[in-house]
Amino acid sequence: MNVKIDGKYYSGNKGETLLELARRNEIEIPSLCYKEGFEGLGRCRLCLVEVIEGNSTKTVSSCVYPIRDGIEVLTNTKNIVNMRKDIIFLLLLRTPNNGYIRKLAEEYGVKAPSRYLDMEREEDCILCGLCVKACEKLGTNAISLVNRGITKKVSTPYDDASKDCIGCGACAEVCPTNAISLVEQDGKRIIWNKTFDLISCTRCGKCYSTEEVLHHIDEQLGVKTQEYLCESCSRRLVGEKFKEAFQNLI
Amino acid sequence: MNDIYDEKMEILVCCGTGCLANNSYRVYERFKEILGEESEVAVKPLIKATGCNGLCEKGPVVKILPKEIAYFKVLPDDVDDIVEKTVLKGEIVDRLLYFDVNERKRIVSHKDASFYKHQHKIALRNIGEIDPLCIGDYLKRDGYRALAKALFEMTPDQVIGEVERSGLRGRGGAGFPTGRKWNICSTYESFPKYVVCNGDEGDPGAFMDRSIMEGDPHTVIEGMIICGYAIGSNRGFLYIRDEYDLALKNMQAAIDNAREFGYLGSNILESSFEFDLEIVRGGGAFVCGESSALMASIEGNIGEPRAKYIRSVEKGLWDKPTVLNNVETWANIPPIIINGAEWFNKIGIEGNSGTKVFSLVGKVKNTGLVEVPMGTKLNELVYQIGGGIIRDRPFKAVQTGGPSGGCIPKEYMDISLDFESLDKIGSMMGSGGVIVMDDTTCMVEVARYYMEFLSEESCGKCTTCREGINTMLKILENITIGEGQLDDIDLLLQLGETIKEASLCALGKTAPNPVLTTIRYFRHEYLEHIKEKRCSAGVCKDLTTYYIDSELCTGCGLCSRRCPVAAIDGKLKEPHIIDRDICTKCGNCFTVCPRNAVKVGGANYEC
Ligand SMILES: Cc1cc2nc3c(=O)[nH]c(=O)nc-3n(C[C@H](O)[C@H](O)[C@H](O)COP(=O)(O)O)c2cc1C
Ligand code: SF4
Repeated sequence: MNVKIDGKYYSGNKGETLLELARRNEIEIPSLCYKEGFEGLGRCRLCLVEVIEGNSTKTVSSCVYPIRDGIEVLTNTKNIVNMRKDIIFLLLLRTPNNGYIRKLAEEYGVKAPSRYLDMEREEDCILCGLCVKACEKLGTNAISLVNRGITKKVSTPYDDASKDCIGCGACAEVCPTNAISLVEQDGKRIIWNKTFDLISCTRCGKCYSTEEVLHHIDEQLGVKTQEYLCESCSRRLVGEKFKEAFQNLI
Repeated sequence: MNDIYDEKMEILVCCGTGCLANNSYRVYERFKEILGEESEVAVKPLIKATGCNGLCEKGPVVKILPKEIAYFKVLPDDVDDIVEKTVLKGEIVDRLLYFDVNERKRIVSHKDASFYKHQHKIALRNIGEIDPLCIGDYLKRDGYRALAKALFEMTPDQVIGEVERSGLRGRGGAGFPTGRKWNICSTYESFPKYVVCNGDEGDPGAFMDRSIMEGDPHTVIEGMIICGYAIGSNRGFLYIRDEYDLALKNMQAAIDNAREFGYLGSNILESSFEFDLEIVRGGGAFVCGESSALMASIEGNIGEPRAKYIRSVEKGLWDKPTVLNNVETWANIPPIIINGAEWFNKIGIEGNSGTKVFSLVGKVKNTGLVEVPMGTKLNELVYQIGGGIIRDRPFKAVQTGGPSGGCIPKEYMDISLDFESLDKIGSMMGSGGVIVMDDTTCMVEVARYYMEFLSEESCGKCTTCREGINTMLKILENITIGEGQLDDIDLLLQLGETIKEASLCALGKTAPNPVLTTIRYFRHEYLEHIKEKRCSAGVCKDLTTYYIDSELCTGCGLCSRRCPVAAIDGKLKEPHIIDRDICTKCGNCFTVCPRNAVKVGGANYEC
């Protein structure tokens, strides 16, 4: 499939979205709710582009737009840039103290007049939904988007400590604005109002995961892990085994 | 015996939700009580519980056939009178007749009233004429004849062709050609396919879909079976708003009945075609009426819209080809199949064939459901059918299309009611809601009101819709309390355009309409609020003071008697004065003054 983006031709695969094609070819389209390997969510609206097909032009969100042969795409028209600025403006009103969004606003030259800004607001979440998607992908489904309109939020059922949460922290890791609080101290991890005991690596003794995570992995894989290894130790172990096998070979 | 008995008499008591709320069931029971089993009346009138008659605020409505006598606002206590005079003696009970404000007289048959005379009923053809719980009534009025015709005299392609040629467009708001939708769906070779009825009706001001489901449920069922046959589907869902108790009940009863009579299930009418229906209760949010959110909700997921770059005719419910149509759209299908595309095409105007049901409410004399040919002029709707503005006050605007429709000013009163014309002036057909506003309406407040509704009803998925509507709401709130600034108007316009273009579903894409149209046609009201700190309609209380023009005041004292807080002082026959420290700005004096001597001043008015 041939797609013309900002004047140049690119060849796309069937089923690919416009944003995937662009990213693959290192074409810059900003986004907040997109993560490689996840399906597009279409929430933040920042990835808007103009698509010209035949004699009709429309604005689409590229993260969910399946490419079609022969379309022409403009990623940076004045209209698109202005809309992106408005979106950033709206996010700035929502999260006036969030570092990431403030930086983005600066980059785009977006300023919010002080009479619209409420600097007391402590909100950091922009409701991109990546955390919920990550949790869903792990098969835990501990958090979800609840309510609608301006009261929409990410939460565990009834805001209580969720019995499904395994404390893996994947949600916090994918969050673009650092909105999810994950605190680790004294061998404990606190996330989503729930406290977990951290497990230490059997080799180096460093705390690295929660018991619930290891259980979850065992359950998913249908095995019982004997040795709890942190990431660097397990990488080292693989290296050692490889070296051993290699030496045996020669 | 009076000749009224020559033909079998029928008494129809409207038992639609509106009338039921006004005690119509007691009226019905009273008739049953007096005329019931042990009655000595030789020919027993048939009493039926019928669906909505349209003139809702004048209910309960009782119709007596075959003479077509119609009584309005009937109380249980009136029943004795009706039986004694009309049923037994064939006389008319004058005081219960409808008073036609246009013709300035009482009218015996409701069909002669201007409210009904200008209407053309297709979708509502059976409402108020049949007992929705009696399939026999429906059959008597050509019920299931269209289905038989489709199954035995037409191929699926011919059925689709007929619907396409009729020019019928979806009545749920977007106006997509129904035949084309069916056609595209029929081309996908992926099974099972689904047929879905959108009975969510989330617009608080509209009730045509409810009336059809309550008053003529079989027509919806018949339309859906015909579509199933045309596109090759064996299963359908009716998604009905959860609060619609009576619609749910009547619809379920009709489905059961239709199954019993062999119109649903396997081997329909011995044709080997199989189709069945099931009701799903709505998720209770306005956005659940949006097609993709509705399907997500049927699948058991949260009702959030998705991008529709792949349409639901290809991948709808459970990713299978699906046809979704609105209740009113379905109600048009049987008549089109029976009477043919050409018949339908002759009604209405080119590109907009057939009729549309509007729910006419607000400051008009006659309110209720109104079915008129597409292309009817707005002023015909408001003045001929609606009877004009209550108390003959000056007309200000009409809001059409539901919460995200636009406000139409006086200059466009001769606009044709069709999809394109309404779009062109910044409003829309939407749900068919028509709200009439007079000079006591503040257009800034109207815009604020709709933004408040939509900020709560946006699903919250996209930034532009969720944050954008909320930001517009805050700006409007500021303006209505006197804290607006001139550049607020520019920001509203700018955000409005972005929300329209950048949002994912039609809720966000239409939400700014109330703001954009009020700025376009009533900018002076915005300026008045911002610059003069004044709301000349007297609605925004922070910007309102009432005072009495001593030149005009005759000292009749009506205002001071109606003032709930005794803020008005004055001797009889001498000009009165309002004490602003006591006044709560309720506006009673303004509405009751027979000389229009009560004036509205701004926040800073000094008298
Ligand atoms: C926010 C929103 C709410 C809607 N609510 C309804 C509704 O209550 N009933 C309805 O029939 N269509 C509603 N629609 C339109 C549907 O998405 C869809 O276009 C329609 O049901 C298709 O049927 P039609 O072609 O027969 O009109 C709504 C659309 C939006 C964007
Ligand atoms: S436009 Fe509004 S209602 Fe529609 S998907 Fe976006 S947030 Fe939800």
